[in-house]
Amino acid sequence: MSYDILVVGSGIGGMESAIKLGDMGYKVLVVEKDSSVGGKMILLSKVFPTLDCASCISTPKMAATVNHPNIDVMTYSEVEQVQRVQNGQFKVRVRRKPTFINQSACTGCRQCEEVCNVAVPDQFNFDLVARRAAYIPFPQAVPKKAVIEKRGSSPCSFTCPAGIKAHGYVALARSGKFDEAFNLVLDSTPLVGSLGRACYAPCEGQCTRGGLEGPVEIRRLKSYIAERHYNAHPQPVTLTTAEPKGRQVAVVGSGPAGLTCAFQLARQGYGVKIFEAASRPGGMLGLAIPAYRLPREVLDRDIQNVTALGVKIATNTRVNNIDSLQEQGFDAVFLATGTPGNARLGVAGENLNGVIGALEFLRRVNLGEDVNLQGQKVVVIGGGNVAMDAARVAARLGAAQVALHYRRSREDMPAHGWEVEAAGVEGVEFHYFSAPVKFNGQDGQLNTVELIRLEPGAPDAGGRPKPVPVQGSEHQVAADLVITAVGLVPQAAGLADGLKLNPDGTVLVNTDTLQTAVPHVFAGGDVVTGPSMIVNAVAQGKKAAFYIDRYLRGEQLAGVNYDDRLPVVDQKEVMGRQQSYSNLPAVGTKNQNGTNMTGQTSAGSVTEPALTEAEARYSAGRCLDCGVCSECSQCITTCPANAVDMAMRERVEEVEAAAVIMSTGFKLFPAELKTQYGYGTLKNVITGMHMDRLLAPTRPYNSVLRPGDGKVPDNIAFVLCTGSRDCTVDNQLCSRVCCMYSVKHNQLIMGALPLADVTVYYMDIRAFSKGYDEFYQQAEAMGANFVRGRIAGIDENQDGNLVLQYEDIANGGQTVTAEHDLVVLSVGMLPNTDAYGIFSGESLQTDDFSFVKEMDEDIDPGRTSIDGVFVAGTASGARDIPDSILHAGAAAAQAAAYVERARVKR
Amino acid sequence: MSDRRIGVYICHCGGNISDYVNVETVRQAVANEPGVVVAKTAMFSCSDATQQEMIQDIREQNLDGLVVASCSPKLHLPTFREVARRAGLNPYRYTQVNIREQCSWTHTNDHAGATEKAVRLVRAGIARTNLTDPLQPIVIDTVPAVLVVGAGIAGLRAAVGLADLGLSVYLVEKSPAPGGRVGDFGAMYPHGKNGRQLIDRLVGEVRKRELVTLFTNAEMVAKSGTIGSFNVKIRVGGKAPGEINVDVGAIVVATGFDNYQPAADEYGYGMDGVITLPEFKKLLDDNAGELEYNSRQVKNIVYIYCVGSRQQDGENPNKYCSRYCCNAAVHASLQVSEKSPRAHQFHLYRDVRTYGKYELMYNEAREKGAVFCAFGGDEPPEVVSGPDGKLKVTVRDLLTYGEELAIPADLVVLVTGMVPAANSWLTELLKLPLGQDRFFNEIHPKLRPVETMVDGVFICGTCQGPKNSAESVASALAAVSQGASILKKGYVELEPLIAAVDPQACDLCGDCLETCPYSAIEQDTAAIRINSAQCKGCGGCAPVCPKGAINLKGYTDGQVKSMIDALLKEI
Repeated sequence: MSYDILVVGSGIGGMESAIKLGDMGYKVLVVEKDSSVGGKMILLSKVFPTLDCASCISTPKMAATVNHPNIDVMTYSEVEQVQRVQNGQFKVRVRRKPTFINQSACTGCRQCEEVCNVAVPDQFNFDLVARRAAYIPFPQAVPKKAVIEKRGSSPCSFTCPAGIKAHGYVALARSGKFDEAFNLVLDSTPLVGSLGRACYAPCEGQCTRGGLEGPVEIRRLKSYIAERHYNAHPQPVTLTTAEPKGRQVAVVGSGPAGLTCAFQLARQGYGVKIFEAASRPGGMLGLAIPAYRLPREVLDRDIQNVTALGVKIATNTRVNNIDSLQEQGFDAVFLATGTPGNARLGVAGENLNGVIGALEFLRRVNLGEDVNLQGQKVVVIGGGNVAMDAARVAARLGAAQVALHYRRSREDMPAHGWEVEAAGVEGVEFHYFSAPVKFNGQDGQLNTVELIRLEPGAPDAGGRPKPVPVQGSEHQVAADLVITAVGLVPQAAGLADGLKLNPDGTVLVNTDTLQTAVPHVFAGGDVVTGPSMIVNAVAQGKKAAFYIDRYLRGEQLAGVNYDDRLPVVDQKEVMGRQQSYSNLPAVGTKNQNGTNMTGQTSAGSVTEPALTEAEARYSAGRCLDCGVCSECSQCITTCPANAVDMAMRERVEEVEAAAVIMSTGFKLFPAELKTQYGYGTLKNVITGMHMDRLLAPTRPYNSVLRPGDGKVPDNIAFVLCTGSRDCTVDNQLCSRVCCMYSVKHNQLIMGALPLADVTVYYMDIRAFSKGYDEFYQQAEAMGANFVRGRIAGIDENQDGNLVLQYEDIANGGQTVTAEHDLVVLSVGMLPNTDAYGIFSGESLQTDDFSFVKEMDEDIDPGRTSIDGVFVAGTASGARDIPDSILHAGAAAAQAAAYVERARVKR
Repeated sequence: MSDRRIGVYICHCGGNISDYVNVETVRQAVANEPGVVVAKTAMFSCSDATQQEMIQDIREQNLDGLVVASCSPKLHLPTFREVARRAGLNPYRYTQVNIREQCSWTHTNDHAGATEKAVRLVRAGIARTNLTDPLQPIVIDTVPAVLVVGAGIAGLRAAVGLADLGLSVYLVEKSPAPGGRVGDFGAMYPHGKNGRQLIDRLVGEVRKRELVTLFTNAEMVAKSGTIGSFNVKIRVGGKAPGEINVDVGAIVVATGFDNYQPAADEYGYGMDGVITLPEFKKLLDDNAGELEYNSRQVKNIVYIYCVGSRQQDGENPNKYCSRYCCNAAVHASLQVSEKSPRAHQFHLYRDVRTYGKYELMYNEAREKGAVFCAFGGDEPPEVVSGPDGKLKVTVRDLLTYGEELAIPADLVVLVTGMVPAANSWLTELLKLPLGQDRFFNEIHPKLRPVETMVDGVFICGTCQGPKNSAESVASALAAVSQGASILKKGYVELEPLIAAVDPQACDLCGDCLETCPYSAIEQDTAAIRINSAQCKGCGGCAPVCPKGAINLKGYTDGQVKSMIDALLKEI
């Protein structure tokens, strides 16, 4: 697309330039970074000196801009690059930010906003109140379409291997929408309760709150959500499934991978049967994980989520030959048999009675066999989570002594730190740099273990020091039972003709699609990855279901974008936007009252105690909403227009333009820089922009009130020149508008709060333009009190009132104080330098104060250092609205003349 | 009963209306009025979303009339007519009812009364709408030429800008040479540019453009026609006097300002050594070396600010601030510091209004030693001549806690501002409205900042109000944009709400002819005719007609009667 003029920014200046140029017949493109045109003016209450509604002046221009036949508008877009090309035109790259809502389908009904569970400070109300992640910026927005603010994936959701929307269910729990939270997890996996109990929760490791008081207890929240749901619904709620597809899938193995895959495929209408070799379903969940970590009824209820969809589970059914499944009518197979084998130590005596693999040991316990260790001495070999489970189970079964030997240091131990700690509390002894040499026994029955001490030696392939034996350190210890936990191995050999295995015995698959060498056989979980975590197996099951579905529908498997999560947000950026961050300790450490709120897997307790609802909501309330949008899906299901599109991604459009107008506006002076005024600390010190919002017809509250305590103020002070005419904040310039908007506020306040006193502290009242001094006189006549004197400092009284200190020039020059209940800092304008870098190959010159430089203001207003680039409004210096409009009109004339000259040249 | 299908929308205007008028009550009270098929309330009727909703209603409900009860038609009549047009409804079947300025804002203490009044007004609007006919705008082809009155810096820049957009320009200057006030200036703030040189540059640009015709010693003496097609008579004096007629589509007025001339003895004006700011600037421009006045070295200068500006008392006081004078005086002070570094300068001010980047000059002046003393508006300084003939200025300085200062002065500079140029003939010729400050007035400083109530006549520069040179140039270019946005389209559309004569009823008495202030009524032996391009739709002729033969389109007698009936209907 080729335009005559590109207008960057759609504030009052940009709109004026665009409309005038459009009226003249030029093709104009307006690019606006926000989702509505209108800039800052539309946010104001009324405007001086005529006291027109800002809305009344802005809305016709906003509508005219977007409806003009000669003007195209790109909202929620940013100009990335402007580069001159050979014909003298500019090539313009525009970044169209994803709105995640189909803008042509959106009707502006705001239902997405109402169901959205993330609240962030509302920049359009200057943070006085919150808005939602899905939002329409203000009632008069043009176009009136919602967008969803999504800065990227939240670290928790991004980290979850299974793609469970952790942030989403935390946000739902925060809003008390526990069933919705359950369903959101269920969307990924049926194992909501099991993961809630036994997941190692990599999400929590990435939680931004973790860098503060400790991560949000995401796993325990999920546990709470599941238990609450299961208590309310002992039987699964019927899920809607797709129409039966008439195709059958066999799932071999009923561990987390198999169950998840079966669940996903059944939902999509496939007939699914699970084959399980053991006597009960669940795989490692039921066999290896101790019941104190994962109560059986939780697992059973999770499995019901699968069987409720019609999935059959054949237990005690070992599949020895996958090929036979095809003959039984299965169109595809998912192989998820896990790692049922125990790796061997390769040490003499390993076959003695009394030496047992950890998995076998745990299986016996879990299947309810009578395993009595009362008074026995137990040695555990290994340092992983399975070793830890075995040791802790042994301790709970009454062993007199449980000694765990590990060949490296504690730091090297792969087991989770908290589990090591809990084991220690439960009485497990730890021996580091220690390894068995030989198991001794009599009559085939173990009685001692010969151990040797090790020391760190030369680095091994992994870079860690390889433990080497300390010569002569061999020693014997008595043992009734040795549990070896040095690794688990798959047993997949010979399952099918053509199935290929890796050297370590795992099944060889295409890692993108999980398809094995046999096309209709897919494999996933530990049988592919080797021993891993539950949630990884869940991830594989989910992914396998995705590709099996595609396979069965005859679609291509390669090159499909399975995981379309956005890049993770930068946690520094997340912390940067926490303006008022409150200290919220984790449940389980200390609550706000300093009392213990039940610990995480507290040592010695039989099972982990459930969170209470209050704790759950408190915990969820600690979430910092890193990605902003939590991906809770509520808007997707609610939108009556079906307009939400989470797959939307940023795209870049290229257009050409003959000339450019920069109408990028200004930034407000950040009042916190003037530290002696206490802005940000003193609650009842606000800025002029806040006062405009408080007075606007679209105001956030019903009346003018002070934010500290909601009191309606009756004695309001204005502090002029906050951040202007002030070398201490590096801004010598006068901002031109603050005197007048303060005078405007005076008049409006006297209308809204007739009994309130208004005092203005000033150096000079700069009422210089047409009708301004008259307006100032009018405010004075209405009773506004003007005091010449610059405020030196502001303190707060206990009641939230503020004490202002100043030199009372008019009355003898003493330093005096005055008390007010609300202070308005009349902040001024600073340059908005955000877009200066868009020009490639040429540089946009600025003046000494970083405003866009006008090269010949006297004769050629609006002309910048780049030929064909013009500036309109406050981008080139502080201006009030009438002056901005005139300046924008001038910039339009300049740009039009430039375009005409360029035409003649061509 | 009516067979019309009318949609009525009652606006909250945020809270501007609904804080005082119960809009739901109004909606219910009018929902069953004759012809109404849609009655809704809206938070902001003017918002794009509500506009879209109206368009949808018009199309889906097949509406043939539209009423929006919101604010003044001055603001949004064009907005909602455009809504109607976009929806395929004739824009003249739209009626705006003003329940904001006329109800909520006027009756803030009487919510019930404001609501009742709103009901009556909306009913009247509906009644009028029931009798609307579709009308077509009067289309006039535009002449791609502009008359620019005044060849000061604004007029010159406007001429160049218009020509750059392909429009012909007739630039009329009453003086023998172009340049205006700026042409007499030396260094100007803030960039130190020389006024004369700026003018020379612009005159050079004008001469380069064949599309611009410059008339000096010339004045516009007559104007007829309407926007898009004016005929203007220019009287040229000088060596070859004569009159020229030109056709133009628009007129840009850039006639500048006059300097405030202090009354005799105002702050000692008239005494030796008391001069105005323009006189002082001339003195500076003329003095190459150290500053001298009447061949006397100037060591002490006292500036008195706001002379002739921000006055509250007296007959017709200039209440306004003259905007440029603080900056100009501070700039002059800096020039003095250059020329006479040892001179003492005292600035007696009320508020120093060196706004924006001009603040830097103020800072520099103070750094260079200028002393600034504030006086109260009610305690102006006094200038006296001592027995030795030396000037002395006394002032109570607020910055030193009201200390009485007596400052000896070699020169007292009265920092005078701008007053409207004396050109009442032009005001009358163009029928230009004046503001309270007696400068030409724009329609609206934000919505239509260079347009006047006279369609096609634009204002820019200091004829509109005090401005400095750069600001005048910016407003001149804004006027260029406005002019070009109309003339480059090739046609303008005029309101068809004009008088119409019913030839059956007319008996050719001719009483109407004299009432028309626009000479839009023509008579020949056969008929009375209305010149549609001339008629402004003021309605002055209609009640004069003894036969009731003249009706104003859009406000026919039938419509007005039905509105009165609706207003009086019981609530």
